[in-house]
Amino acid sequence: MKVYVNDISVDVLPGMAVKHILIHAGLLKEIEGLKKVYDEWGNELGLDGGLSEGMKIYVKNCRT
Amino acid sequence: MKRLKIFCFCFFLLLLTIPFAHGEQIEIRILHVNDFHGFVEPYKPLGSEGLLGGIAYLGAKANELRKEKPSLLLSAGDMIQGDNWANLFQAESVIELMNVMRFDAMVLGNHEFDFGQEILKKRISEARFPVLGANVEGLDYLKPYIIRELNGIRLALIGIVTEDVPASTHPRNVAGLKFTSPVETVGKYMRELKNKTDVIIVLSHIGYPADRVLAEKVKGIDVIVGGHSHTKITKPVSIGKTLIVQAWEHGKALGVLDLMVKDGKIIKFEGHLEEIKPEKGKEDKAALAIVNKYKERVDAVLNVRIGEAEVDLDGENVRRRETNLGNFIADIIRSSSGADVAMINGGGIRVSIRKGEVRAKDIYSALPFDNYIVAIKLTGKQIKEALEHGVSGVENEEGRFPQVSGLTFKYSPSEKRGSRIKEIFIAGKPIDPDREYIVATNDFMAVGGDGYKAFGEAMKSSRDFSVMGGMMKGEKVVYSDSSKWLRDVVVEYIKEKKRIAPKVEGRIIEIR
Repeated sequence: MKVYVNDISVDVLPGMAVKHILIHAGLLKEIEGLKKVYDEWGNELGLDGGLSEGMKIYVKNCRT
Repeated sequence: MKRLKIFCFCFFLLLLTIPFAHGEQIEIRILHVNDFHGFVEPYKPLGSEGLLGGIAYLGAKANELRKEKPSLLLSAGDMIQGDNWANLFQAESVIELMNVMRFDAMVLGNHEFDFGQEILKKRISEARFPVLGANVEGLDYLKPYIIRELNGIRLALIGIVTEDVPASTHPRNVAGLKFTSPVETVGKYMRELKNKTDVIIVLSHIGYPADRVLAEKVKGIDVIVGGHSHTKITKPVSIGKTLIVQAWEHGKALGVLDLMVKDGKIIKFEGHLEEIKPEKGKEDKAALAIVNKYKERVDAVLNVRIGEAEVDLDGENVRRRETNLGNFIADIIRSSSGADVAMINGGGIRVSIRKGEVRAKDIYSALPFDNYIVAIKLTGKQIKEALEHGVSGVENEEGRFPQVSGLTFKYSPSEKRGSRIKEIFIAGKPIDPDREYIVATNDFMAVGGDGYKAFGEAMKSSRDFSVMGGMMKGEKVVYSDSSKWLRDVVVEYIKEKKRIAPKVEGRIIEIR
């Protein structure tokens, strides 16, 4: 399954979660700081969130 | 007297119909949670400043909000499989909790299948609320939809779950079941329900992106109460005339959606998430009693003797050399997945276990991470690259040092990084750089965790997954079972074998 993190494609297995993309992209540590994960519509996502084909997620600074 | 009673009764019935007769506005409230995963206690999420969640606090908030107007409390799935509080009791604890919290309905999530169909049926029969799954064929215990009347409004609730269930749990858990298209399924039931009800709600465990597609493709859905993607939708999203809501995860928020209905149409809505934070004394006592009852049992279950170790199990040296505990776990991973070899990161093993009685809590301490088993095809060349990476930080005792099964190798730590591996044997034969081998590991390494790029690269070239003959088949991936944590697989293995005595066998030889 292909998903996108910060517009870069990542291949993961069905059943894998947001955290797997972050591990793959080396971004998990950033979540321990001020950054959070958002979907393409700006909604925050939990790290165990399920993925779907073509899903786009972004790791960026918290908006608050 | 009897006539008077009949008159009063008829008058009362007449009063009930007045709101519709006069097109009055009726208020109802939908309270919703999703992806709870058994997280009953508040915790501090990564990057968060304070504690969030706590199901007893959520229960109290739900009770408070229910008093204000006629309400339904709904779950959009994945209430189980996550925290030990749910896992150790195969979700019996969760259903008991949901019963005392007076849930009105839930849809199955993909993880509700993780303990197998027999357990699932048992759980459904224990639930004092309907469990929905309109697009699941072959499980009679499920209802496709229900119709509930709330404050004179007829509500239809249709439940759907992701079609990916067979690819995200062990195939035996879904044997004989068919998962049909959510869009087609909802479309079919919409035709059946639209003239029988005022408001149609889809309880969905397909994820927010798919919910948006559903709302676009199937007209007439009033509300989608979603789950699966763990999305924190702070305000309801409108797609056409459909509202989509979702309440994040782990009971850290309670979704609240107020609907004003007139003549069978939603004319006004207001929705938000109530973030749940622990406040002493504000717990729902009934929910708290269930939480505490099973917390005590968690301790008891983890203290149960599961077998005996005839030797000390070394979890301390896993970042610098082969150890018997590393071998033991790697062997279990390999045999469980039917792989040629297994390779795990030593850093995933945290403590040693002393000779003598082994309790479940010992295994949970040694393997504290929520990892599951994945097996993937790697060429001999990729295996060598992975091993080179694994030994590249041995001087600093970095967690990527491998523990292996089904292969032996020699390495020289004094050589420069990337040129340390000297020879590799698989099943007693020198590794063939061009041949593909099935390599089992954990999900963390499979996606390239600890810098294991070879696995990540293999994943990239593996497409078109499907479940055939009881196994997940992809071009490169042959096994993936997210339904069971590795530590639970190890516990089951020890329970079965009763006595264990793994050895250091010369699988990893350091050349000085």
